[in-house]
Amino acid sequence: MSASHPDRNRASLEHGAPSGEPSEAVEDSRVVEVRVAAEATQLPVMRAVVGDLAMRADFDVDTIADLRLAVDEACSSLVRIAAERSPLVGRFRTEDDRLDFTAEVTSDDPSGPRKNTFSWRVLGALTDSVASSVREPENSGDGHVVRIELSKGRMVHG
Amino acid sequence: MTQADSEHVYRGQNYEELAPLFVEFAELSGDDRRHAELRDKLVTAHLPIAQHIARRFSNRGESQEDLVQVATLGLINAVDRFDPNRGVDFLSYAVPTIMGEVRRHFRDTGWTVRVPRRLQERHLSISSTISTLSQDLGRAPTPSEIAGHLGISRDEVHQGLEAGNAYRSSSLDELLSDTDEIPLGDAIGSSDTELDEVENREAIRPLLRELGERERRILILRFFKSMTQTQIAEQIGISQMHVSRLLARTLSWLRERLEVEVPPEPVTDT
Repeated sequence: MSASHPDRNRASLEHGAPSGEPSEAVEDSRVVEVRVAAEATQLPVMRAVVGDLAMRADFDVDTIADLRLAVDEACSSLVRIAAERSPLVGRFRTEDDRLDFTAEVTSDDPSGPRKNTFSWRVLGALTDSVASSVREPENSGDGHVVRIELSKGRMVHG
Repeated sequence: MTQADSEHVYRGQNYEELAPLFVEFAELSGDDRRHAELRDKLVTAHLPIAQHIARRFSNRGESQEDLVQVATLGLINAVDRFDPNRGVDFLSYAVPTIMGEVRRHFRDTGWTVRVPRRLQERHLSISSTISTLSQDLGRAPTPSEIAGHLGISRDEVHQGLEAGNAYRSSSLDELLSDTDEIPLGDAIGSSDTELDEVENREAIRPLLRELGERERRILILRFFKSMTQTQIAEQIGISQMHVSRLLARTLSWLRERLEVEVPPEPVTDT
């Protein structure tokens, strides 16, 4: 497996990947990108994708279930702070030993998800690492881009 | 009624002796005191049959108490509806009635969307394979290990696991009831201490108290005691898939409630 390109993944997010323009990260066959409206009704899509990817990667059933819960929790907290008409973009990357997930929305609120909440604790318990970041809008009038990234490794190697 | 009596009845040796009671029962009107008396007696005498049938459906993601309850309900229906003049004995009538009740429980209350019977059965066999393999391996199995154990393809395991996400073992009302008598011990105390770091703890605490004992316990074990779903399943005595469903539902319920009671900080759009 070739070395990963963390910058690439980042670059595609920087310009917000307008629809129609293929995102660079998608060229990487290990990356699956899902773009939906930032609404609670869309969350089953994200859960289903992560569940399927984790099953295909043959993660153990505890890890599969935890990943589903973590993606659900992360996306829920983003949906809650998303600006109207914001998309929710989920990017799933399956490595040999772990699954990385980033989710982004645009928000009117520059503070991002709060860390000392029950929800954040749940995320921490379900994953190996979780972090959030907020990027200033490039054009005034655009929302702040709020991102949660999380990662969880497999417990079993087949 | 002693244990020895129950087994005696269940072997069917006492069976014929109860037959005249059914004839008498069928002739009495519902408000006769003797009617209620006989009904109790007939149901109690046949309870071992309900328990036996419930055991046949165990390890399929439902708690044993729930199954016994459903099977007992089937038995009561059988006692009420049995017609001794039809020439069949009670057992021949009751066993399919009770089995039907348990199956209906799995089919109608267990699945939120219509899942084909074949897929339901696959889901159930996967569920029990997960507990068997977890015991053997000391950890949760992978889909390929489940496939190897059951002699089915990984795709079939995927379908079965996916079907589990459409399964709901109890209603929301049950989620909020306090019917499970699992002692919490010091778990609650320590979760309160842990909650001190949590900013919205004042909103969380009353919600945790509203949860059923079992749901609260699972939540604490997973998020405050760092136990895996498989370990929790073993400790509580339900399947890993059931733990997974209960966690998903509890978290989603907490999110909804928190949203109502602690609205996000106002943004500048008004």
